[in-house]
Amino acid sequence: MSDYVLRIKDLDVQYYTDAGIVYANNKINFDLKPGERLGLVGESGSGKSTMALALLRMIKAPGRIANGQILLDNVDLTKLSEEEMRQVRGKEISMVPQGAMNSLNPVMRIKDQIIDGMIDHNLNLSRSMLEERAQEALEVVELDRKVGRMYPHELSGGMKQRACIAISVAMHPKVIIADEPTSALDVVTQRQVMQTIGRLQEQLGSAVILIGHDMGLMAQFAHRMAVMYAGSLVELGSIRDIYTDAFHPYTQMLIDSLPTIGKRGVFKGIPGITPLLRDLPPGCVFNTRCPKVMDVCRTKAPVYREYKQGHWAACHLKEDGVAQ
Amino acid sequence: MSVQSASVTALPMAKKKQGQNIIISYLRRNFQLSIGLAILLFFILFSLIGAQYIDIKAAYPLGAPAGKAPSLEFPFGTDGQGRNLFAVAVYGVWETFRIGIIAGVIGVTFGAFMGFTSAFFGGWYDVIVRWVVDVLLTVPGLLILIVIASSMDAKSFTLTSMAFIIALTAWMGPARTIRSQVLTLRERSYVMMARLNGMSNWGIIFRELVPNLLPYLGASLVGSVTGAIFASVGLPALGLGPLREPTIGVTIYWAQNQNALLREMWWWLMMPIMTIILMFVMLFMVSAGLDELANPRVRRSE
Repeated sequence: MSDYVLRIKDLDVQYYTDAGIVYANNKINFDLKPGERLGLVGESGSGKSTMALALLRMIKAPGRIANGQILLDNVDLTKLSEEEMRQVRGKEISMVPQGAMNSLNPVMRIKDQIIDGMIDHNLNLSRSMLEERAQEALEVVELDRKVGRMYPHELSGGMKQRACIAISVAMHPKVIIADEPTSALDVVTQRQVMQTIGRLQEQLGSAVILIGHDMGLMAQFAHRMAVMYAGSLVELGSIRDIYTDAFHPYTQMLIDSLPTIGKRGVFKGIPGITPLLRDLPPGCVFNTRCPKVMDVCRTKAPVYREYKQGHWAACHLKEDGVAQ
Repeated sequence: MSVQSASVTALPMAKKKQGQNIIISYLRRNFQLSIGLAILLFFILFSLIGAQYIDIKAAYPLGAPAGKAPSLEFPFGTDGQGRNLFAVAVYGVWETFRIGIIAGVIGVTFGAFMGFTSAFFGGWYDVIVRWVVDVLLTVPGLLILIVIASSMDAKSFTLTSMAFIIALTAWMGPARTIRSQVLTLRERSYVMMARLNGMSNWGIIFRELVPNLLPYLGASLVGSVTGAIFASVGLPALGLGPLREPTIGVTIYWAQNQNALLREMWWWLMMPIMTIILMFVMLFMVSAGLDELANPRVRRSE
């Protein structure tokens, strides 16, 4: 039971807009072991960030978690009061939000921003111990001690990103969600930041959910990878399984779209666009773009299940294979 | 930066001394703030020292020979009713500031509180606050002041009660500006970040938003004090309020009433005009200087 730090069961997130209900997350299921690195990929608008916010119960009205459980160490976060949930944020689960480098308060020193995150969490630490913790957090993300006394405008993009990560990891959370932590950085800085996240993950033993588009980065960093499409999880498996034997045609097409060194030619994209989350097609959500679409895909939604040890997918192609 | 980081290891005494050095070297760079503070200091010393040597009776009618031009004995002259204008300056500046500060501080504190809470919590509360402020803002402040001041019993009308009446009209402006600032600030990503890290609502207000609002709060405070001083000069100049007390506004009222210029007593008007100019220059300099101090992005480095 306690093998898993985080278990998500049948999570549904919906936005109730004037134009109708937007199904942002549908029946999301996955587990996370302590110290595991999970990569989460998917197109823009496929519900990755929504899921991350849902884990912290930060979905703003008109959206809400319509269904499902989020079990952190067997405690259901969806049942906690707002005050209890606030204690969880940052301390148990923390998130480095998208575009985090612009998420620093411009008029406060970095160190104070790290400390401020800790003050409201009943840590019972004296001021000097908090300072110590802040310094330690800066060291974990490989920033100089001096940076603590600086203001955000004195830092470079990569340093700001690290500072944000330092704020998020200062309380040693069990789960760290990094939402596209490297999206606005150049490749060299990207690599450094990813190495930092990797190293601090090993030091703290936290589980990391890395959200992004970059399949190459995921392959290098993560242990397991989850693929999201139109609000649903379509495949989840170890990096090796996904890259060598993808079950879902969408995953396969994502991998095929990667350019390869030494192979010239036209890039393969995925034709078509994501369906509106407000107006999902009946059956499988991918049926409008799937090259291997069958009749059953247009009527019946595939079940998300484990077809191989640790390798999950939701696809009728696989279903038939099992049936035969 | 280097000065501050060097002070970490210094001994307490040395640290304190270094702290003073930082303030002095900062003031040397922030030219506007130093001039403003210098004028303020001058006013304070002028009133404090002046009050030690000059009897307050000299600031009331028949306290001195009437209608004397400025001389060594009466540096600012005396008015047509026998007030020593130097004594009026000593006590009047003090009283004018007192009214301005009481009304300004009440106005900004209450206004900032209303603006802050209505923007941050939103909902019905916000609708009501906004409605009240919008309605009150369309009513000319001077009208409210005149109606209240003229219906008050002149005998019980003190300078302090005038300060409270002025405060009544001083809070809507700050409430509106602070509210709109908070509306943009609360959507900034660092507020989101703070929420993601589980900071409480009050924690976000005081540790994330207020530091960002300090320049606006400072500017609002100075603006409110300016407005309140303006009102405290304007009301008596119109003949409202306690007309016996020696304040700048009352001096203007009597100078008008007694035809100072027709009687060629230019010094009677000169004292209030010069002090008001100095006061407003001071307030402006302090406001501009505070803006720089509170905003590290425009703060000049060494």
